[in-house]
Amino acid sequence: MDFALSPAQRDLADAARRYLARQYPPARIAALAGGPGGSEAGSWPELTRQGWLDDDLGLVELCLLAQESGYALHPTPWWSTVALAAPVYRAAGDKGADGPATAALRAGPGPTARGAGLDWTLTGTARRVPDAQPAVEIVVRADTGAGPALFAVATDGPGVALTALAGIDPLRPLSDVDLTAAGARLLVPPGTAAAVLAGGYRQAAVLLAAEAVGVAARTLDLAVAYAGQRSQFGRPIGSYQAVAHPLADGYAQTELARSLVYRAAWLAGTANLAGTADGGDPGGGAELARAVAAALIAARQAALGCAETAIQTAGGMGVTWEYPLHHWYRRALWCQAYDGLGGDPYATIADSLLGPADTVEAPSPRPGGAP
Amino acid sequence: MDLRDSPPQAAFRAGLRAWLRANLPAPGGPPPARDTVALRRFSELLHTAGYAGLTWPVQYGGRGLAPAFQAIYAEESALAEAPDQLNVIGLNMVGPTLIAHGTPAQRERYLPGILSGTVLFCQGFSEPDAGSDLAAVRTRAVGVPGGYRLHGEKVWSSYAHLADHCLLLARTGPAGSRHHGLTCFLLDLHAAGVTVAPLRQLSGDTDFNQIRLDDVAVADADVVGEVGGGWRVAMATLAHERGTFGVTLTARLSVVFDRLLATVRHTGRASDPRVRHEVAAIYTVLQGLRHTGYRALGALAASGEPGPESSVLKLVWSATNQRIGALALELLGGAAALDGRDALWGGYWQHHRLRSRANSIEGGTSEILRSVIAERVLRLPRSR
Repeated sequence: MDFALSPAQRDLADAARRYLARQYPPARIAALAGGPGGSEAGSWPELTRQGWLDDDLGLVELCLLAQESGYALHPTPWWSTVALAAPVYRAAGDKGADGPATAALRAGPGPTARGAGLDWTLTGTARRVPDAQPAVEIVVRADTGAGPALFAVATDGPGVALTALAGIDPLRPLSDVDLTAAGARLLVPPGTAAAVLAGGYRQAAVLLAAEAVGVAARTLDLAVAYAGQRSQFGRPIGSYQAVAHPLADGYAQTELARSLVYRAAWLAGTANLAGTADGGDPGGGAELARAVAAALIAARQAALGCAETAIQTAGGMGVTWEYPLHHWYRRALWCQAYDGLGGDPYATIADSLLGPADTVEAPSPRPGGAP
Repeated sequence: MDLRDSPPQAAFRAGLRAWLRANLPAPGGPPPARDTVALRRFSELLHTAGYAGLTWPVQYGGRGLAPAFQAIYAEESALAEAPDQLNVIGLNMVGPTLIAHGTPAQRERYLPGILSGTVLFCQGFSEPDAGSDLAAVRTRAVGVPGGYRLHGEKVWSSYAHLADHCLLLARTGPAGSRHHGLTCFLLDLHAAGVTVAPLRQLSGDTDFNQIRLDDVAVADADVVGEVGGGWRVAMATLAHERGTFGVTLTARLSVVFDRLLATVRHTGRASDPRVRHEVAAIYTVLQGLRHTGYRALGALAASGEPGPESSVLKLVWSATNQRIGALALELLGGAAALDGRDALWGGYWQHHRLRSRANSIEGGTSEILRSVIAERVLRLPRSR
């Protein structure tokens, strides 16, 4: 039971942190957040060159990059590409897009597909798709009449209209994608779509959780730095326990979330390699599903909790627009709200431990109070 | 990163699991009651089977195994609802302290008995005026030819009513010398002038004790480490305990959590949305604790020193144990006001709720742990 990162993994994380610190200091983040596009796709060639899009990155490695991305608020479509689109391309054996990509995988009323063989068109609206504007392709879940299938749609093709939505986190903008008989490339047919979606949701959840841990860590670091410097009543405010103790709680929460992310990444990555991405072993599948759900719950709470504690620590400064903390808080809110992950993680765990809610019967009372 | 057991770890775990199954009743029923005789017998059984002193060096009778094996023992024995080892303080704290800081004579005299469970140790650190502020210890050790005479009072000493010996922290320096004037001693609890009296907790339990020392003689040979070096020895002793106890605490917590699930089903609340949500939330924290414990173990194995994770683990463990107990009693509804023979499992959850109030106080209060994290991990300026 060895959680230690390998030297190569540590180097990867360190290099990512240095690169992002150089490229995206908080002032640049603030400027990008205030600007028109929000997400900076111009850096794609550099990211590719640095290895962020390499095929042979395992899920643990991707988590390390996602953590650093959360820490820096990496303002490119990298996360949407590797967390949402890449798992589907890989499962389909497809080479993927030549540039940023994203995915619309949510169940429920959405686009429908018409066609056969390799010729399909999609009609309908995919809502709240992250990073759709800079994307070269969007992976779209559409109903074929014989069940959902997964398609790739080029964003510059006919019948594709993107409507940018106003969002709480300008660094990860959402769009509605209106498709009108838009040409689409079939990636995964109805027979295997369910398994691919399960694996895709899993990867997205783990990478969202990893990013959230990075967000939590950065807000804590910003708050600790502030508390060490800001003086009132003749002392740094960090020396007051009422200020320090919530930060200690935030640290504890973040470390527990980080452990869960590593574990979920290792389990899911191992499942991917063994080809059991659909949880073929019922016992193993349930453990993996719980592990991913727990990581997601813990990381989201850590990001929100640490961001709110950090703002409280920074006092009057913390609630200004100019103080950078709110950019991370907005990302934490985005992470909490994002619902493209296949279902409620609390329900996943409760179903696994107590059985599905609607089929549970009340037991008859027994004498003596014995269970 | 590889979260599976290594082959030797897997073999050890399998063998231990089989041994526990063969030597203990099946877990999951009403919590077993055990008397002192049964507990002593179990300690001796463990020693005979080779499960005592797993991480002790081989030259001192141990098996020289890495901390991961101690963690496997902690997990498997908790899951099997094995009794606490009576000599847990000797095995996990005093023994390693004597190995690191003791004289050859002390090691020869005490280590074999600690291993076999025939010599039971307790700890004598806290006092009425020295709890969180352990450096305020006032028990005096007055120098006399050949040794010292001890005067003072210790409280919160677990197992002192059963123990033969005590690792005691006393002041050899002048009053007010705080960390500098302290010395650790090996005290024979049967010596003249020693009075052990039980302290009753609000739960009704009496497994903590007060130790009064009236002019008790100890010899120079009973000093552990250096005279005046007691603070360092005491801190090292506490650090040994912290190395693997994160895994122990979490293993026990998972047994309590399983009882919570059984209670959810028993009370017909398994489809209650609020209960389901809270169960999932508690599960999430429990797994977070478990895997942070494993991470801490890895850091311990790599550096030889317990890291900051131990403070995090104890802090969150205590809150989570209290949280589980609160939900459980809520599930019992009006029957939560019953106790003993008229309550579920003989009042298990009632006892748990009362007893768990001390979890956030014993072994480092949550307030102190937060300050430790703030000052040593986050490097915030000291508050005191």
